[in-house]
Amino acid sequence: MGAGVDARSIGKVENFDGLAAGNRRLAAGDTIRLRIRRSGGDLGEQIRFDSFEIPYQASMRVLDALIHVAEHFAPDLAYRWFCGSKMCGTCAIRMNGREVLACWESVEPEMTLEPLRNLPVVRDLVVDRAPYEARVAAFEPWLVRNQEYAGFPEPLTHKEMKDASKALDCISCMACFSACPVIGLGSLTDFAGPAPLVQLAQTALDTRNDPNKVASALEHAGIFNCVSCYKCEEVCPAKIPIVSQVIEPLKAKTAVLRPALAKHSLTFRAIIAARGRIDPTELVLRVQGIKAILHVARALRLLIAGKINPLRTLFKRRTGADAAARRLLRQKDTGPS
Amino acid sequence: MRVLTTDVVIVGGGAAGCYAALELSKKQIGSVIVCKGLVGKSGASIFAGNLVLGGGLLGNTPEQARNTAEYLVKYHNQFLIDQNWARRCGQWIEKVYYPELEEAGLYFRRDNDGNVVTSPGKVRSIAANVQGNSGVPFMDLRRKQVMKAGIQKIEETAVTSLLRRHDGSVCGVFAIDGMSGEHIALLGRAVILATGYADRLHKRSTGTREMSGDGLAMAWRAGATLVNLEMQWWHTNDVAHPPSWQRMQIYPNPVLGSDGSARMVNAEGTEFFNQQIDDPLAFGPYTVQLKALVKQVRAGKARYDGGYFAGFDNMDPSEVDAYTTYGKPFNQLGIDPGKRLLETAVSAHYRQGGVLVDNTTMRSSVAGLYIAGGLGGHSNGLIALATFDGKTAAGGILADWAKLKPGELPEDEVATEQNRVEALLAMTGPGPSPADIKEKIRGIMWEKVGVEKSAASLTGALEDLGRIRTTMLPTMSVRSRTRTANYEWQDAIDVHNMIDSAELIIHSSIERRESRGPFMRLDYPETDNDSWLAANIMIKTDNGFRFERSRYETPFFEPGFSRRDNLSVAW
Repeated sequence: MGAGVDARSIGKVENFDGLAAGNRRLAAGDTIRLRIRRSGGDLGEQIRFDSFEIPYQASMRVLDALIHVAEHFAPDLAYRWFCGSKMCGTCAIRMNGREVLACWESVEPEMTLEPLRNLPVVRDLVVDRAPYEARVAAFEPWLVRNQEYAGFPEPLTHKEMKDASKALDCISCMACFSACPVIGLGSLTDFAGPAPLVQLAQTALDTRNDPNKVASALEHAGIFNCVSCYKCEEVCPAKIPIVSQVIEPLKAKTAVLRPALAKHSLTFRAIIAARGRIDPTELVLRVQGIKAILHVARALRLLIAGKINPLRTLFKRRTGADAAARRLLRQKDTGPS
Repeated sequence: MRVLTTDVVIVGGGAAGCYAALELSKKQIGSVIVCKGLVGKSGASIFAGNLVLGGGLLGNTPEQARNTAEYLVKYHNQFLIDQNWARRCGQWIEKVYYPELEEAGLYFRRDNDGNVVTSPGKVRSIAANVQGNSGVPFMDLRRKQVMKAGIQKIEETAVTSLLRRHDGSVCGVFAIDGMSGEHIALLGRAVILATGYADRLHKRSTGTREMSGDGLAMAWRAGATLVNLEMQWWHTNDVAHPPSWQRMQIYPNPVLGSDGSARMVNAEGTEFFNQQIDDPLAFGPYTVQLKALVKQVRAGKARYDGGYFAGFDNMDPSEVDAYTTYGKPFNQLGIDPGKRLLETAVSAHYRQGGVLVDNTTMRSSVAGLYIAGGLGGHSNGLIALATFDGKTAAGGILADWAKLKPGELPEDEVATEQNRVEALLAMTGPGPSPADIKEKIRGIMWEKVGVEKSAASLTGALEDLGRIRTTMLPTMSVRSRTRTANYEWQDAIDVHNMIDSAELIIHSSIERRESRGPFMRLDYPETDNDSWLAANIMIKTDNGFRFERSRYETPFFEPGFSRRDNLSVAW
């Protein structure tokens, strides 16, 4: 997992996904060509791509293609599914480089099918869900009420539950977990990943939950490692706005409940409010404090390259942009959600 | 082999199994949930679209409360139900079920003013988060409650047989871990079988991948008495294409927050079912719909496997999208749900019958074996009823606690089962693959044990299955010997359960010599309340089986006629 992956390359390869191939009009009987990644079991350490040709049928899904292959050519193909209707979330795989729910996604004329990334492969297309489960369990993902339950139906509006409700659409298929470039970095960060965070949001953004409970769960989230690349949203079959309605509200909650975890973001915001623009020198000095001295060699390189300018940090005249910035930030805080 | 000992072994991780485990945990009784799929993710429970309101819940009028009960007894069970049990169950749902779920955090959909959004009508329902998807957050909550209670779960592990002591009482289960192939013996004072309502025995079934009639087959082998297996329920409007969507329904239930709902048209484009017009109780019109379809099929204007259409083109699409997922298959296929209908077909759905239980304890006829949820033969499905069963089974075990002895390892039985499953993995015959045999069984069930059947078609099905049993099962071929995620090996185990269950169902179908609701005999077209308002009980004997009949009481609702053509009966 993540071995040999360079942070800057992550996400680039995957942009050449199958979207361009699109769902050209296919007629019944047209040939679908599949390449399926096989590994594990009898294959030992070997990894192999097997090719199959099958006839297209009306409205055919990737899962129908897999079932056809298993029934006619490769009865030993391992692939996981239960419901076949976008509810159980167990059949997610990668098709032509992008994460799809096999039961939900249309076949394409040429398909390369691979297991999800960022999880150990058990065999063929079956991955081990345990690392995801462990992250969810660490959140203790249940409600702790700080007020006594009022009886059915308790007072509650959809407005209060809006973000949590979106997160409740999650079918934990882990398409996003596979697509996330930060998870791809492995243990370089403590980022819990999009799917576990959606699970966390179900109770953390629930207004009935005790803020202390939410705060202690957020300590396990590593949420500020999210780079807001929107890969998770792009692949989510439940169409959950993971960045805007899950991760951003969770970041905001962290800033309120555990400001020490949000030091970088809060400082960033404070500098914007004060200057109307970001100032890298001030950001580094304020976030790292005395530790910044350890990076003096790097600072020199940045100075020579013109990336930082301590003189401007100290003496640059205010421009009026700061007032505009403060107005915008205020609007964001108080405006319509 | 791994040997684990606990107080109670629970087979199945749906609504019934999870709730039984939680109830036992509250009483300090340990349990382990062993699940062929994933707890709260596989099986039928996640498909719960609506949550029905009974009693005086959320301002239900006395009339609405009575309608809910009537709907359950008539349209859901065709009177093959203990009405006193239904009453107890309804009271519990009103007083315990909804508050327990909400207190634990389940979000019953509100509007922006804080009202719980309901469907209108004579029987009302609500949704957990979104209508059509209620089972998903519901079961996700159960999964997390199980986690919170520290209850051990063993997932993707198939129980292949019930283990018994010398006196015949059940003392545990034998299972195979699907990911590693490891043998597991799970021992307990009692076993709760909670394997669900549905299975995939027909070409088109709502039962999910892993459901192969295991519970029924294992209970029968252990000697349990069965009841009303012939009472197969059908979805009349599941998406016809693609095949993997065969259990995705164009829901006929009233739409939350709207006065409209789905309609169906035949091959000529003529409407033959509109929930708002044709469904007398305006709620769960499955049998009403089925009867309407049968008339279309007989007139050559539809087929059971397609050629008719359903959807919401009579509605404002924004009303469909407001609180439901009902538009999802349309949208995914690029079809505007407000403009076009989708081709639909019949899928075999729940079975009303199952293992005969004492409905006050969920005890089966075999000591140590309890049933919860759809596998029981006491009622047709609703997620609330399955949950009630979990509670009742836990209570039944508690009541019997003094009589229940600790689990022990019956070494001979275990050795026999180990040999059986390993022999299936080692099969190198020249015959078909297990997946191929599964398809053949489903084909036979669809053609000869489908919506309309007769003694001739049923005995023909028995002959076909007999041929599969004698010629194909012994020559089956399993390609890979791997123990890792070997679904082919699982299929080889499954086909034996499928063929056993299918035969039991067919024998029961031959025995019920009438038509009743969704059970339609061409050779006995009348509903016969004189002879068959009765449990069709199948008892295992030394040389096979025999049937007994036991009449149901009708204390609150009764049919009001003796015999009548089933297609002219509303329910």
